[in-house]
Amino acid sequence: MRPTHSGTMSKLKNKKRNLEENEDEQLPIFDKDGGKDGHLDDGDEDQGDLSDSEESVFSGLEESGSDSDDEEEEEEDGSEEKSSDVEEDKAADGDGDDQLSAKEVIEPQTDGQHSKEKKKKKKAAGKEGGEESVASDRDSGLQISSQVDEYEHDTSDEEDIRNTVGNIPMEWYKDYPHIGYDLEGKKIFKPIRNKDELDEFLDKMENPDYWRTVQDKMTGADIRLSDEQVDLVHRLQQGKFGDVNFNEYEPAIDFFSNEVMIHPVTNRPQDKRSFIPSLIEKEKVGKLVHAIKMGWIKPHRPKETTPQYYDLWAKEDPNSILGRHKMHIPAPKMKLPGHEESYNPPPEYLMSEEERLAWEQQDPEYRKLSFLPQKLACLRAVPAYSRFIHERFERCLDLYLCPRQRKMRVNVNPEDLIPKLPKPKDLQPFPTTQSLVYRGHSSLVRSISISPSGQWLVSGSDDCTVRFWEVSTARCLKTVEVGGAVKGVAWNPNLSICLVAVSYDDTVVLLNPGLGDRLVCTATDQLISSYEEPEEVKDQPVQWAVAEGEGHEQGHRLILKHPKAVRQVTWHGKGDYLACVIPDNGSSLQVVIHQVSKRRTQNPFRKNKGLVQCVSFHPIRPYFFVATQRYVRVYNLIKQELTKKLMANCKWISSMAIHPGGDNVICGSYDCRLAWFDLDLSTKPYKVLRQHKKALRSVAYHRHYPLFVSGSDDGNVIVCHGMVYNDLLQNPLIVPVKVLKGHTITHDLGVLDVTFHPTQPWVFSSGADGTVRLFT
Amino acid sequence: MSQVQARFFTENKKYLIDDVPFSIPAASEVTDLSGVINKLLEAKNDGHKHVEFDFLVQGQFLRTSLASRMETENISTEEVVEIEYVEKFTAPQPEECVMHDDWISSVEADSEWILTGSYDKTARIWSMEGKAVMTVAGHTDVVKDVAWVKRDGLSSLLLTASLDQTIMLWEWNSERNKVKARHCCRGHAGSVDTVAVDPTRTKFCSGSWDKMLKIWSTPLMTFSGHNEAVSSVLWMDAEELCSASWDHTIRLWDAETGGQKNTITGSKVFNCISYSPLCRRLASGSTDRHVRLWDPRSKDGSLVLLSLTSHNGWVTAVRWSPSHEHQLVSGSLDNVVKLWDTRSCKAPLYDLAAHEDKVMCVDWTENGLILSGGADNKLYTYRYSACVLDAGA
Repeated sequence: MRPTHSGTMSKLKNKKRNLEENEDEQLPIFDKDGGKDGHLDDGDEDQGDLSDSEESVFSGLEESGSDSDDEEEEEEDGSEEKSSDVEEDKAADGDGDDQLSAKEVIEPQTDGQHSKEKKKKKKAAGKEGGEESVASDRDSGLQISSQVDEYEHDTSDEEDIRNTVGNIPMEWYKDYPHIGYDLEGKKIFKPIRNKDELDEFLDKMENPDYWRTVQDKMTGADIRLSDEQVDLVHRLQQGKFGDVNFNEYEPAIDFFSNEVMIHPVTNRPQDKRSFIPSLIEKEKVGKLVHAIKMGWIKPHRPKETTPQYYDLWAKEDPNSILGRHKMHIPAPKMKLPGHEESYNPPPEYLMSEEERLAWEQQDPEYRKLSFLPQKLACLRAVPAYSRFIHERFERCLDLYLCPRQRKMRVNVNPEDLIPKLPKPKDLQPFPTTQSLVYRGHSSLVRSISISPSGQWLVSGSDDCTVRFWEVSTARCLKTVEVGGAVKGVAWNPNLSICLVAVSYDDTVVLLNPGLGDRLVCTATDQLISSYEEPEEVKDQPVQWAVAEGEGHEQGHRLILKHPKAVRQVTWHGKGDYLACVIPDNGSSLQVVIHQVSKRRTQNPFRKNKGLVQCVSFHPIRPYFFVATQRYVRVYNLIKQELTKKLMANCKWISSMAIHPGGDNVICGSYDCRLAWFDLDLSTKPYKVLRQHKKALRSVAYHRHYPLFVSGSDDGNVIVCHGMVYNDLLQNPLIVPVKVLKGHTITHDLGVLDVTFHPTQPWVFSSGADGTVRLFT
Repeated sequence: MSQVQARFFTENKKYLIDDVPFSIPAASEVTDLSGVINKLLEAKNDGHKHVEFDFLVQGQFLRTSLASRMETENISTEEVVEIEYVEKFTAPQPEECVMHDDWISSVEADSEWILTGSYDKTARIWSMEGKAVMTVAGHTDVVKDVAWVKRDGLSSLLLTASLDQTIMLWEWNSERNKVKARHCCRGHAGSVDTVAVDPTRTKFCSGSWDKMLKIWSTPLMTFSGHNEAVSSVLWMDAEELCSASWDHTIRLWDAETGGQKNTITGSKVFNCISYSPLCRRLASGSTDRHVRLWDPRSKDGSLVLLSLTSHNGWVTAVRWSPSHEHQLVSGSLDNVVKLWDTRSCKAPLYDLAAHEDKVMCVDWTENGLILSGGADNKLYTYRYSACVLDAGA
């Protein structure tokens, strides 16, 4: 801060060698400086300021000053020691600050000392090494001690406040009694130092502190070293650390120990490569530099100074109606004032006396009007409205309690609630029209059955005949008379056996119709005739007999006499076993199974629960289905146990059919229901169809197509599409697709039996009108 | 729309008129147009007798008024309409009614004799006048199909196929009126429903319920491929065989190698097929109400060219005219025999409603005789003159 100032000053000095002028010039500046700093600090600083600037300014002038005065003054003060030093300080300060601490006193000295030391070194004159070392020691010691509050008066201005001449070689003042000047321009005298050898000796002899007295070269004053300083000197002389508190034998901490540490510090020497610039980095930097050169990378992209905020409504469609707007419910409106409120209402609005009385007697809640209409002469006469606050409060209540909930009305198209059913057209093929009528029977046809090839149809009627038909032409090819009304017929499903089981009364006759392949027919005959009686004849509930004579001519082959009337006959899929139903409630012999090849009869059940309606063999597995009035029991023939009991959920089962896959069962019942079971799913019907108006008589499954059919007393045959998907997640699709009409109702009976063609989607139905009809 | 510009033309030289467009009322029908042509012909040659004409617009018979026809066909009324006229086919005239003892399952007539198969297990030979000539008895079951093989002077060879799984080849001497069984062809494992003699008259093919086709020659060839009973079989030419089956297919076979050449897949059981070498079309009757026409050469085997729909029951018999490329006859379970012209597919030309029960078989001889037999035990014959005239045209 000073050099420029001093530079100008020195120029001034060189131009005008006039003291007065110089002083005149100088003082205001000093004042200015002093004033400026004085606000912040003590006069000490002022002094420092002076000393600093004065040194350079007056350096030339001092030479012109008289020496003698300085010498004298120096002698006067020389006898005094430290106290005079202090006084000198006081004098220099001008305002005589007594509160200066010893340290503050010492500090300037040391600084002065310091500069002196430097001068000494420069000179390298023949001075005592010891003294020099002492001085330097003291210097350093003082410095250490002053470390405590080094920055308390941290300004270069205050260094050596008594030495106003600054850092100049002291020999310049060697011949003067003074060193520098104080603020008033008076000489600062050196301490008197004109001691001769004798004085020195006397002093040495008398003064006990002589040994610890050194001369301050800066000021020329004698300074008595304090105990600490002496101690420091001693310590340094002994080669110890200057600081007493420094422990040079601190316990060693082993940074690089052999112990395993989590974060080890290693003293492994650094690799050579750590001193060599990395090639990879160089390459990377090179690339970056290249990219910057090519303009691919902008090294100094302008930073986004605008703060980033998340735009909450950025994605919102400004045109969309907000929820709160959509759901806005306006406050209930107040009723507008009417004629009653008028101050001058028409007379019809005014209350008569009775009305008024009635109004007064009415409960305020039920009053039509909350006030009495009044007629006043003029508007000015209208009194204050007494109910004002009350009414405002009610209005607030209205607003507050107003129902703010929107009633969401569910808008459902009733057509959507109807399950989506495929169009029957998409479910084709299924029988749709009546194609052929097989006429010939004179009484109701109770049962029909079709040959496994699909070429022939057999029907059994109450006119005690069994007729065989050619399917494609409705030609009756054969008529076989039996001894009673035929209840059931069943064509053997085995293609290599040509047998038809016919049941009438208590008899089951196995017929060989002689239709189809001649070889098969003869083979069947041979099979029956080749039977040999076993050695030991078991007692059987059924009598087997071979037909002879006229019966044989007609095709009768075996006659089985049962104890009671046989209602139904059904073949096992392999064609060897024949199951018959002899319905008799409570009897133990309701179901018998015949084995044709061995002419054996077994009664599979020791006891039958309920009245057996119909039985059926499982098409694939060794299961046997027995339908009683309400339940269908599924027996495992091998394990001889009941495996399942299907609850048909109807009053009286009339018929039952099993899907050729064996997983589904349909049951027709006399209470107009058709129950569809999934055996894997449940013992309850998956679906119950109530399509028929009257009792169901017969149900049937198609062998290949996903169709089942039911015939009913109402004369209708209903074809249903029943699709079961391999995908277990997809529900079975059961859709009635067609009502086939054709049979006329005779004696309150309509369709008595239905059956499907084995290969075509054709259904045959036999009715009470004595016809069999084919629907295709 | 009142007047339409029309130009009339015909291929019959006898009724040629000037090739100039006429303006005729749009509402005019067949009778009106016929009157117009007759007037023109009268003006042209004096000795003209009134003739009923039929008119074809774009190859289809005109059955309604001209205006409505043009509307359905999208013909512009601005242009001159080309109308072809042909002499109207006269209705087939019933000739004979021959009573049988039982249902007639099949009929085939040649130029002199009529052969019928019946459910009474016999085949019968009748003269054209309906006189019983011969009864061919020998089958143990219903005769399902009959066929003439060839004639050498007075002796004829004929075939009968029966439910008893045999086909019998008979030799019949017309002079001595003796019939002799030449062969009994056994081999089918089901009833033989159909038999057809090849054009060279040296071998024949039979189709059976056992799903097999057999060519009876030396050696015997068996064609298997159908999944259901074969209902009808015919020769398209000497090398090619066509069979219809209950498995909803019509298959074309190479008679030499036995390989399948083409398969036409329908959606219903085929009862009968007939092939016309004139128009190279197959006609089929199914267990629905339609007579369908197929192109046997077509690669797309399930494309129906035309459906002729008018019957109300299964079509049991169908037969192309041997001389006219557009006409065929069909018999159905609804007791009606219908005469069709493929140019008029909406309605048949004539309904021959003589039968009282199911029609089982029809035939059409080369000399213009239509025969039909049915479950009412009657064989009807009709003289259809138009075909002779048309054939000459």
